[in-house]
Amino acid sequence: MRLLLAEDDQDLGPRLKRYLDRQGFAVDLFDNGVDAGFYGSETAYDVIVLDLGLPGRSGLSVLEDWRRGGIKTPVLVLTARDTWQEKVQGLQKGADDYLTKPFHEEELLARLQALIRRNAGLVGESLAVNGWVLDEETQSVSRDDQCWQLTGIEFRLLRYFMLHPGHILSKSRLTEHVYEQDADKDSNVIEVYVNRLRQKLGNDIITTRRGQGYIFGEFS
Amino acid sequence: MNSLRARLGLGLVVGLVMTIGLLLAIAGFSMHKLMEHQVASRLAHDGDTLLADLTVRPDGTVGLDAKRIQAIYHQPFSGHYFLIEVDGQTIRSRSLWDETLPVPQGKAGEVILRHISGPEQQPLLLWSGSFRKQGRLVRLAVAEDLYALQSGARRVWWQLLGWSAALVVFVVLIQRAIIARSLRPVADVVEDVVRLERGEVSALREQVPQEVLPLVQEINRLLQRQQQRLLRSREAVGNMAHAIKTPLTLLQQLAAETTRDSDQDTRRQLEHYIQRINELVDTSLRRARIAGDSLGTTRFDVRQDLPVLVDTVVRLHRDKAIDFQQRLNEVDTLPLEQQDGMELLGNLLDNAWKWANHRVHLAIDGSGASCVITIEDDGPGVEDEQVRRLMQRGVRHDESTQGHGIGLSIVKSLVEALGGSIEFGRSAALGGLQVVAYFK
Repeated sequence: MRLLLAEDDQDLGPRLKRYLDRQGFAVDLFDNGVDAGFYGSETAYDVIVLDLGLPGRSGLSVLEDWRRGGIKTPVLVLTARDTWQEKVQGLQKGADDYLTKPFHEEELLARLQALIRRNAGLVGESLAVNGWVLDEETQSVSRDDQCWQLTGIEFRLLRYFMLHPGHILSKSRLTEHVYEQDADKDSNVIEVYVNRLRQKLGNDIITTRRGQGYIFGEFS
Repeated sequence: MNSLRARLGLGLVVGLVMTIGLLLAIAGFSMHKLMEHQVASRLAHDGDTLLADLTVRPDGTVGLDAKRIQAIYHQPFSGHYFLIEVDGQTIRSRSLWDETLPVPQGKAGEVILRHISGPEQQPLLLWSGSFRKQGRLVRLAVAEDLYALQSGARRVWWQLLGWSAALVVFVVLIQRAIIARSLRPVADVVEDVVRLERGEVSALREQVPQEVLPLVQEINRLLQRQQQRLLRSREAVGNMAHAIKTPLTLLQQLAAETTRDSDQDTRRQLEHYIQRINELVDTSLRRARIAGDSLGTTRFDVRQDLPVLVDTVVRLHRDKAIDFQQRLNEVDTLPLEQQDGMELLGNLLDNAWKWANHRVHLAIDGSGASCVITIEDDGPGVEDEQVRRLMQRGVRHDESTQGHGIGLSIVKSLVEALGGSIEFGRSAALGGLQVVAYFK
């Protein structure tokens, strides 16, 4: 899950990034509106957390530009300004959710997960596909009565697969959505992690389409 | 009397009446003088003729040639009379009949003109004098009845008065029309002020006569300054919220982290204080943001602002399917500033959405200066005890916060700050909470 975090506070930004990293997001942090606006429209993010009071450009105008440019990525607005006027403005300009400061990290996480699930067309409290149930809190996956613990990258990878069941996902696309911007990206690593998931969960969980990529949940 | 119209009207009437009254008085006096002068010169002329006709007979008596005397002097009480007295002998016109005229007793050459009452109470102008003719002292009096002339003059004078009165009425009517025309821009200003109070416009039109323009401009300047001040104070309040709330977020997260396993009690206390700071900040900010009933601000437009607000609430509670019904009785604008209205209705709807099971009803009645907002849900509602505590004055959020409590006390303080009143109860239709806010 690639996540764009636009937050200008020098303490809160890095802190949230660390927290969301731990929760299995590949987080790119920007502390001004200009960079956030540019990278938000250049990179295929899965979800965006946008502070409205950004230096350079206001969060609202950045959001407006994204939506006008056809960027449909779900956006959660994070702000200290909690008047209804601002909520209305934010949502009318294309935000999907609104969280006011101060907030608990857990609440932010829950909202983000709900946003991602909703965006993938799923309903319900947890991510469940073809009998596989992903527990985002413990970063583990279960089927019937069995439960497997996952490492950070395994979790990120499996979550992305489960959010796009039946889709052919290329290695480069998977790399893009599993790693953050500055990470060492080697698409061969994806192969290694796909194999690890197969070893843990069974060979037929992910099928390979030669020259095209991988598919999750084709056979159930 | 404080009406320009009445003052100008009264001023004009007084001025006209005084002027015309003076003119009529002068006209009456002049007519009288002219008439008297005319009559006097005729009398003098007749007197001269009589003197010339007077002949001394050989027996020493005097006489007049009756044929040479005008016929009017022969007709009894015709209004034209003469009387001549020479050495005890008296000749009077036949018109005098048995009456007499006073003759002057002075020396020769004296002529007197005066008014006397003649036969049959006729008002006479009397011309009399003493003359010497052929060595004899002749005393002569000629008089003419002024009644016909006077009444003619009086009739003309009354006619003049009638015309003048008509003229006054006519001029007053014209002036009224002119005043109404000239004051129409002022009426427009008054109308603008009414619309300003209703929140339909944010400034007065400046197409007014130059006499009122400075006033209108000054009002507009004041309005603009007030609007800027509101904007600035809201901006400052927003910045302050931003400045305080980000560190507060950090503090909260730090509290959650550092004491996660060790001291649960300290953590709870810390969170309690953070909560209290947050609520205090929120309360002050909410109060500072309120525009109240300041003039020249945009009003909450039910047709434009409500749908987007409802849409926002729906999207914020996307996971909840609520059957929302609204009943707006011909309402266009609320007597609330736009953001104030957003804040109030946003909180009301958000509360209802949070606690409702499936249904929320909103009704807005009345318009313009007063309105009643009713919102009902089918949630659990609130206990009577809680309503009692909410309705107590000065109860702060943190003292009355359970379930619905926080939201309701926020709504209550908002309504009160906006000058309205609020009632909580049980919805008869839906079974949950019913909140009614009244604004006058």
